[in-house]
Order: sequence, then structure tokens, then C-alpha cells
Amino acid sequence: MDTALKLWSVVLIVGALNYLSRLSFIALFARRRVPPLLARAFRYVPAAMLTALVVPMVVAAPGGAWLPALPKIAAALVAGIVAFVTHSQLKTLGSGMLTLWVLQALAPRFG
Amino acid sequence: MRRFASDRDFRAGFAAMLPACLGIAPFGLVCGVGAAAAGASTLDALGLSAIVFSGAAQILAVQLLAAGAPLAVIVLTCFVAGLRFVIYSAAMAPYLRPLPARWQQGLAFLLTDQAFAASVRRFDAGGDPRGGGMYFLGGGFALWSFWQLTNIAGYFVGNLIPAAWSLDFAVPLCFIALVAPHFRSFPTISAALVSACAVIAFAGLPMKLNLIVAGLIGIAAGTLADFVQERWTPR
Repeated sequence: MDTALKLWSVVLIVGALNYLSRLSFIALFARRRVPPLLARAFRYVPAAMLTALVVPMVVAAPGGAWLPALPKIAAALVAGIVAFVTHSQLKTLGSGMLTLWVLQALAPRFG
Repeated sequence: MRRFASDRDFRAGFAAMLPACLGIAPFGLVCGVGAAAAGASTLDALGLSAIVFSGAAQILAVQLLAAGAPLAVIVLTCFVAGLRFVIYSAAMAPYLRPLPARWQQGLAFLLTDQAFAASVRRFDAGGDPRGGGMYFLGGGFALWSFWQLTNIAGYFVGNLIPAAWSLDFAVPLCFIALVAPHFRSFPTISAALVSACAVIAFAGLPMKLNLIVAGLIGIAAGTLADFVQERWTPR
């Protein structure tokens, strides 16, 4: 498939699906009752989905080795604690990046 | 436009969203860099950020496009990653119910992780629904505009950012900022832990299918833990 055609198919289809997800309970099923099991399962979508997105970005190092990923893992843990305590997006971002930079600067000394 | 710019609630929502805009700036830059790396034209990149308007979906889309994944896989992965909007939609619905249908349809487009978090606080603080809607619109507009600017900046000058800065790492940090504050209940922590283990266990699956698998297993684990907790909680 042509690259531009494929990209715009993604833009339009994903754009439409994302919009329908956003619109779902605001307009589409506004008057419909959600089955209790589905309502229960829905509560855990953000935790499960966001974690599935985060983990590979943190632990994946070139070559799949664990040691090079350690600074990122440590930085992610620090950021997670800061997010849990402060609920602040900027503090989470700042503490995580700072931890990563410091550890990456120190890493060569430990070989 | 002038009608909005002079509205007190619109301006308050716009101003309140500025720190969040700063927080998503590195994420926007990374998305722009990703679009350029996937060989998208300027118009392609703009279409992606303006219409899809979701960092997670955009990153996944450009990575999968660059890897040559089939259209169906890209669409399915981005859809599942965007399922959390259904939750936000359900949570916002009671607040938006008093507004006209047009407003509901417009505001739904601007529903993002950040806009959701900010607006729920505003609606909970009380006030008239119209003011809340204007506040949401102001915040959503700020976020959308800023998202376009950072995406385009990343597209054009992102490759000038030194690799040593590890800007990519801002992306997981944005998601950590969203998810970590919710790790307060047994089912939520179960959902996250099981999802984390599953995404690593299934890392061998092609085309990032481990994301969908892990997400679904994590949701199932959270739901199960919810039943267990209900059963064991003394009445």
C-alpha cells in the first residue's frame, strides 16, 4: 500500500475511533445502562493500558540487556513515587529526567 | 473566537492548562520526531496530531508504520490504547449532560488525559454547567493548540535535540504521572502489576501485539481482584 494512503487511512480511522471512544458515554450511550461486569472492568482500563505502554519504554535497552536499562528503571521508580505523592505532572517529569541524567552521567564510572 | 477569548471561564480554563501544556511539550516533540522518522510529510504529520490528537496513539502509529505493520494491526493497537477515553467519557458524561448536544460533541473531541483531570476538578468545585463547559473548552483549546505547535517543532527541529538528553524518556514519564497517583487500591495495583508482567512475558509477539494482550490480561486481573476484594471485605 502507498505510504501516504496508509498513513491517512490510519489518521482517519484511528481519529474516528478515538473520537467515538471520547464521545461514547457523553453522547452515544448517555441513556443506556452499562452492564455491571463491563462497568467493573472499565475501571481498570487506564491502569492496565498505561502500564502496558510504560513498561516496554522503560525496560527496553538496545540488545535487550538489563544492565543498560537500570538508570531508566530507577528514574521511573523515582518518578512514580513523586507522582504518587505530589500528583504533579511537572514534578514527575522533572524528577524522572533529572534522575536519569544523573545516573547516565555516573554510569560510565561504574563500568 | 472573540466571544470565547473574552469569556472569564474560557480564559480561566486556558490559563489553568498552561502548566500541563509545558508538561506535554517534550512528548509533543517526540511525536513530531517520530512522524518525521516514519517518513511522513508535513501535512501527514499535522493530520496525525490535529485529528488523532493522542500522544499514545500517535507514537504507536508512527512506530508501527515505520515497522511496516498492516493497517488492521495499527488501527487495532491504537484503538485499544485509546480505550481509556471511554472511561473519561463515562466520568465526564454527568457533568456535560446539561449542555446542548453540539457542545457535548465538540467538547468530546477535546477529551484527553489532561483535560479530563483538570475539568473534573473544576466541575466538582461546582458552578453553572455553562461555565464548566467554557472552562473545559478553554483548557482543551490550549492543549490542542500547544500540541500542534510542539508536534510541528519536533517534526522540523527535533533532530537537533542531543540524544544524550534522552528526550524519549519524557513519554513514559507523562504516563507515569497519569497512572501512579491511582495506585491506591488492591484491584488497580493488581491490574498494573499483571499488565507489566504480561507485557514483558509477551515481548516476543510481533508488531507490539504484546500491548493489547497485556492490556486485556491486566483489565481481567483488575476485575478479578475487584471481585475478590468485594468478597473478602467484611460487611
